[in-house]
Formats: sequence, C-alpha cells, structure tokens
Amino acid sequence: MKSKKKMNRKGQMQMTETIAILFIFFILLMFGVIFYFRYQKAAFQEKEEELLGQRAMESTLKALFMPELICSRGEAEPEDNCFDVLKLNSSSETMQHYLDDYYFEIFSYATITVEEVYPENKTWILYDKPKPDFTRKEPTFFVVTLRDELAGKNQPHYGLGYVAVTVYS
Amino acid sequence: MAYGKISGRRGQLELTFNWVYVLIAGTVILLFFISLVARQKQVSEERLSGDVVEVMSSILAGAGVSEKTKNFIDASGLADYTLYFSCQDGVGEFGIKDRPARTQNSIDPLFAPREVHSPQIVTWSLPYSMPFKVIDFLMVIPANVKYYLVGNDADFVNEFVNATEGIKRTYVPNLQQIEPEANLQVRLIDTDGSVIPHSQVPVQLQSFDDTEVSAVVFTGINQVDFYQKQGSSWQKLNQKLLRIVSLPGEKNAAKYGAIFSADDQIYRCNMGKALNRLEKLMEVYGGKDIASGLIGGKLQKLSEHYQGDISSDCRGYLEQNNENTVGALSRLSSNVAACRLQPQSCSELDLIEAAEKLKQMNDKLRVSCSASLY
Repeated sequence: MKSKKKMNRKGQMQMTETIAILFIFFILLMFGVIFYFRYQKAAFQEKEEELLGQRAMESTLKALFMPELICSRGEAEPEDNCFDVLKLNSSSETMQHYLDDYYFEIFSYATITVEEVYPENKTWILYDKPKPDFTRKEPTFFVVTLRDELAGKNQPHYGLGYVAVTVYS
Repeated sequence: MAYGKISGRRGQLELTFNWVYVLIAGTVILLFFISLVARQKQVSEERLSGDVVEVMSSILAGAGVSEKTKNFIDASGLADYTLYFSCQDGVGEFGIKDRPARTQNSIDPLFAPREVHSPQIVTWSLPYSMPFKVIDFLMVIPANVKYYLVGNDADFVNEFVNATEGIKRTYVPNLQQIEPEANLQVRLIDTDGSVIPHSQVPVQLQSFDDTEVSAVVFTGINQVDFYQKQGSSWQKLNQKLLRIVSLPGEKNAAKYGAIFSADDQIYRCNMGKALNRLEKLMEVYGGKDIASGLIGGKLQKLSEHYQGDISSDCRGYLEQNNENTVGALSRLSSNVAACRLQPQSCSELDLIEAAEKLKQMNDKLRVSCSASLY
C-alpha cells in the first residue's frame, strides 16, 4: 500500500516536472518566434526604405533624360540638365492624359514638378499620382536650367529652376 | 516475489515506452528542422533570384538613360542561372529561367537574345530618333556570342567594327573563312543580303546546335530578315516583310537593334514600344490633333510667336510655305497612328519619308530662326 502511494507521488512529481519543462520550452519558443518576427519586420522596413530611396533616384534620373522635357539641339546631343520651357506645358498635358496607361509604368506613384526660381516663379506639375494612404514619401531635388527659345533675342534665354520628384510607398 | 515480478515487467514496459517516445519525438523534431532548412533554402534561392532580377533591372534602367554608353557587366556570379528575355504584345519580360522572379516592361525597348548564359554581358544604349529623339534602345549582348560580318556594305562594316569595341566581332570576306571558337554562339550579319539567302550553312558551323547559329540579313530598302540554322540550311524566321523604321545615318539604333535581337518577334515588339513613345512625343510637339492639321504643343507656341513677324522666313517654314513644319509633323503623326493601329497595312516607307521631311523643315528653322521644333 505504502509502496503504491510512494509510486503515485513519484508519478505526480514526474508529471509536474514534464509540464514545467514543456511550459519553459514553449515560453522559450514564443520568445524565439517574437524575436524572429520583430527582426523580420525591422529588416523589411529597412529594405522598403532602401527601395524607396533607390526608386526616388531612378525616377529623378528618368525625368532628367525624358525626351518630352529635354533641351534638344537638332541631331546633336541634347543639353545636359536642361528642360525646354516650350515643351513643359504640353508635356504636362500629355503626361497627365496618358498617366494611367503609359507614364505610370515609368514613375509609378510619384509627383514630378518643375519649379522656376529665376527669372520668374513658375510651377509646372508634370506628373501627379500620389499613392492613396501612403505611409512614406521620399522627395529628391535636382537643379536644372530652363531654356526658353522665344524669350531671348536671336538666342535662347536660360532660366534656373529645379525638378522635384517625390515618390510614395 | 509476485509484486517484484510485476514491478520489473512494468519497469521494462516503461523503459521501452520511453525509448519509443524519445524516438518518435526525436524524429518529429528532426523532420521539423529538415523541413525548416528546406524551406529556408527555397526562400533564399527565390530571394537571390529576386535580387538578381532587381539588380539587373537597375543596371538596365541606368544603361537606358545614359546615352551611347557600353557597360561591361561581370555576370560570373550568375554562372548557375540562365537569363531569359521575351517580348509579346508590346510587353517585354526578363527574368531567370525556371525561377519565379521576373520583371515586365512595356516602355523600354530591349533588344536581346532569347536566353543569356554568359560570364559577361555587355549593355549598350543607343538613342533612337525619328527625327527627334524618341527613346534609348538598349542592346543586351552576351560575351559568348561572336558576330561575323559578311557582304559588300563596306561603310557599315567599318562603322560596326569601330562602334563595337569590346564585343567579339570580325569581318570575313566569305563564309568559308569563318573560324568558329569553342563555347561561342555565332551570329552572321549579312550587310547587303548578298551572302546568306543564296548559301548553305558553312560546313564548319554545321556541327553546332541549331539554336547556336543565326543570321540577320539587311536587304532591299530598309529591309531586314532573320534566319536560323536548320541542319545544313537556313530557315527564314520572319514570314512577313520587316522594315527598319529609321532615318539614314551612323549608329542607326533601329538597325543595331535588329543585329542584337534574337528574332523578328522580339524586334517587332520592341519597335512597337518605340512607336508608342513616338506617338506621345508627337503630341508634345504638335498637340493631340496634329494628325488632322490642328496645331498645339510646342508648335503652337512657335506659331504664335512668329505670327506677327510677317517679313520673317520662319512663318513660312512653320506653316505658310507649300512645304512646312505643320504639314510635315501632321503627316508623320498620321503615319505613326496608322502604323500603331493597323501594323499590317502600315507603310513604313511613308513614315520614314515623313520623318525625313520634318527633319529638313527643322534644319531650315534652325538655320533661319531663333527657335526650332526640336
């Protein structure tokens, strides 16, 4: 009788021991999972920021070399970092008109504006497609010359401005 | 004694049970970790191929905007992978063969072989103008392809050899002088259509796999044909007439595009992308109704400016003379629209002629006036 009781107690103790081990095991597992997911989330956010920065640079680069905007010189190489003022108005119209079915593939969710700072203060909104409910945006600016062939006397007049490209995610 | 026996048997049973339990639990844990490792391997491979496509996209985007530059990309790290390129219905696609990572693009024309498995890739960007700058064409040239020039167009042979430094190419007076190298694919460029259509595949290339030997033939007026080796003879790939839509001149992007395209389908599809962009640019220069003669865009600004200047030649070159810029742009616009809407009935020669006319008018504006169209 005594021996049976002793064995029951031993069994109960073993059972408690097993439950305690399992409990600690699951706690540790939970810590591991939480840590892993926190790390993954941070890494994902970091990657997202990196990609957004990269996209901002690529979009600016694409805008600077767009045939719709650049200062062409016949068959010669176009002028560097220069936008043709006479093309800006119609480019804005064309880009907004074909925004969803063409230019969206080039710039995705972004806003591109050209701001003239000298001799006047003018703004051209070339492309405007902000992401609905965006969580992050990355603006980049690039100084450009603005060529107006009709403003000067027998030679084009150059103004100064900047192109602002904002990308959203 | 009886109790001792029972207790012993129970102990034995417990011991066996413990071992079985440990074995099952161990196997389950082991399987869990094996599946975890397998899953991680799959995820990291997918991530790697995604990264490769992403890096390639960035390289191609960068190369696409830096005019007339050649980039030599070391792809030895991708030795285990085969890149594939395709273009259908105006949408180009590239990625890693048999992997889920891929990217699609309906904007940038990319002239490439169907598959690239090479330790080095050359990307070369050339501006396409019609007559104003339309877009940059990007050529993807694997280092394991050798280009042999044949035919009698000496000017083009010289131009090509000078322009393609760093790419394996050589001129051979006839097909018998081709000396194929091991592990190199072969593309023949017949500069005037005098060699390939009238000959068999050279004997020294007949042992090559059919997919490794191809030819591009320039013939007629701005005409191009694509050929593929089929045993000892050539098989023409394009069933319909295919013309190079470009203006004459050095480094003709559309002609180079044909040289570096796998076949007529990739070529046609990418030229379609360029025509699409040309249509948009036409609106920037002439407004959306320019095809029907109603001016807008930059042309309207020029017209308004020269309106009051009665004595000026500029007004005449713009819209008063028999041959004027408005008319030339309008004709080009209607030709482009026709080619975009009905490629079967498109007259590429009319389109080229209209672009040539616009170029002449713009040259006159450049010489005589303070402003020109482009």
